Amino acid sequence: MSDKAKKEEDEKKKKLAEEGDDEDEDTTSEGDDDGDEGDEEESDDSADADEKPAKAPPMAAREAPKVSASFARNLWTITKREFAGYFNSALAYIVISASMVLFGLYFFFYQGGIWQVDRASMSRMFDFVPAWICFLTIPLFTMRAMSEEKRLGTIELLITLPVRDSEVVLGKYLGALGVLVVQIALLAIYPIAMFKFPWNMGAFDWGPFWSSMFGLFLMGAAGIAIGMLYSGMTESQIVSYFATASTLLILFFVGSLVQFVKGWPGEVISFFSFQTRYEPFSRGLIDTRAVVYFVSVTVLCLLESFRQLEGRRWR
Amino acid sequence: MSTDVMIYASDLSKNFGSFRAVDKINFEVNRGEVVGFLGPNGAGKSTTMRILTCFIAPSSGTARINGHDVFEHTLAVRESLGYLPQRAPLYLEMSVYEYLKFAADLRNLDESTFKKRARSVVEVAGLAQVLGKEIRQLSHGYRQRVGLAQALIHDPPILILDEPTSDLDPNEKAEFLDYLKQIGKDRTVLLSTHNLKEVETACARAIIVSRGRVVADGSLDEIKGKSGRVRYVVEVQESGGDSPYRGTGAPPRAKEVSDLLATIKGAARVNELPTDERAHAFELTSDRDTDLRAAIFRAIADKGWVLLELHRDTQTLEDVFRHLTIGEERRNRHVGKGEPPPVKDEDEDDEDDDEDDDEDEA
Repeated sequence: MSDKAKKEEDEKKKKLAEEGDDEDEDTTSEGDDDGDEGDEEESDDSADADEKPAKAPPMAAREAPKVSASFARNLWTITKREFAGYFNSALAYIVISASMVLFGLYFFFYQGGIWQVDRASMSRMFDFVPAWICFLTIPLFTMRAMSEEKRLGTIELLITLPVRDSEVVLGKYLGALGVLVVQIALLAIYPIAMFKFPWNMGAFDWGPFWSSMFGLFLMGAAGIAIGMLYSGMTESQIVSYFATASTLLILFFVGSLVQFVKGWPGEVISFFSFQTRYEPFSRGLIDTRAVVYFVSVTVLCLLESFRQLEGRRWR
Repeated sequence: MSTDVMIYASDLSKNFGSFRAVDKINFEVNRGEVVGFLGPNGAGKSTTMRILTCFIAPSSGTARINGHDVFEHTLAVRESLGYLPQRAPLYLEMSVYEYLKFAADLRNLDESTFKKRARSVVEVAGLAQVLGKEIRQLSHGYRQRVGLAQALIHDPPILILDEPTSDLDPNEKAEFLDYLKQIGKDRTVLLSTHNLKEVETACARAIIVSRGRVVADGSLDEIKGKSGRVRYVVEVQESGGDSPYRGTGAPPRAKEVSDLLATIKGAARVNELPTDERAHAFELTSDRDTDLRAAIFRAIADKGWVLLELHRDTQTLEDVFRHLTIGEERRNRHVGKGEPPPVKDEDEDDEDDDEDDDEDEA
């Protein structure tokens, strides 16, 4: 290797060390194995050394400080596209509006509706909403995330753009999560309309409401990660839908079995059940164990999705 | 010199299960070359391109794009590439403009560069009329143009195009090939296609692959000379018909003519070609470079027969292509009886009209 190249490399290393802090953020964020930053350093001594020095060092030096910025920018671009994609098709509108109609009917009429509760509370609502979201909203939002890209081949164009696999997975995830957040946030219409404006039917206890919403969000986050995972396994949206819906429903309703199953099997069930995990939230409790559980499910499924996407290269 | 090698593949192999889609492919493409990448369906063209564009990883071997290893520095590789996959798979729900913007964003073009580049690629690809339309509404030809536009948006030094002309009409094809020649002056273009005429118009060099192997690589003239066969077509008058028979003696029978032609030194094979009753037509192939036309004429004239036509066919790229790839196919079919059927995913969309035509002619 020529002296010039050595010198350049030293400079680069120094630069990398300076920028180290910025970089950590990226490497820890998502098990990103595409990484350029680390690899570029070593490669100069390898067989292709004669071709490298002219080009690679400036490239690496330019890239290193930019890595986390470009990660965020690409992530945002993909998320934005995904989110807009949902609202470019009729699906998101139909699902959200149909859900809202159904929630409304449930809210007002089911077993006498809110009137029967005789309390300024939304708790009844939060018995029903999670199941509905598991059964319909999440699977419908995630079914096309990966499977359609695979079926139409668009994934090939996306992945051959200079994006990291982690950006693709996370971007798609956040896009779907964004739509779910819209759906969940719209639920706030009910208490606001009933207890704030235009009607003011009493002092509403906002605590349990927000905790329920938070629980719903966490559960949804985990559910979407599961849906993404299934979506990546198949090219068929229908298969993806049913796999996600049944998994989520089982995870949810298995909680109802807890009262019949004694001993450790019951504990195992309640450990896994979305219902038992969600239950404290609807009572106004933020259960850290449940938070950890939902976040773990999310992270695990996302990592698996990432691994799956990466695995395409080896098949 | 070495820095000018823009695409470098060495012993590149890819297995899908037990099916070997790409088998130790070696080639280099230099800066400023427009190279045609040819081969029958399932020959491994798309697979090779997918390896070069980091969509899949090779099972073994190495490849470098612009000096970056496709395995180690995938981001740097993809940054220096513009890639148009087969059938231009685009997001249908986006508008053309949105799509270009999306690609530009992921390529980290800033706003002003994007505007400048967008203007030029839109002009090149002829997209001005459809910029605001959803891609869903566009014909396949237009979709392919959008695919091309997104591949060019960042002005890449290397373009890899997988059957970029398959959905274009003849005028568009001609336009596109002209454009390729233009941009190919300071860029590197690897272009896969079934259409040999396109290669002859746009490329100075071709790489022919078959069954995952490179069977020919070189300038078009080199490749044309490669199979080393020359074909002569000879037509001899058989009977009078409208015009009186002008030969001496009795008109020859087909057998006589074919026997005579077979005796000519250098003639490898003689085949009768279909004609009407007025003439005998024969095809004579020779493995030699020497010109047999004089010998053929002399032999026929000595017999006193009437030579109606004599011409020598120089090999077209098509002949060479067929010669190189059909032989391969047959050989492998015999050997590989126990082989599992090709993975369906491979080149699945290859069944183009072009290809079908080619097959029919064969």
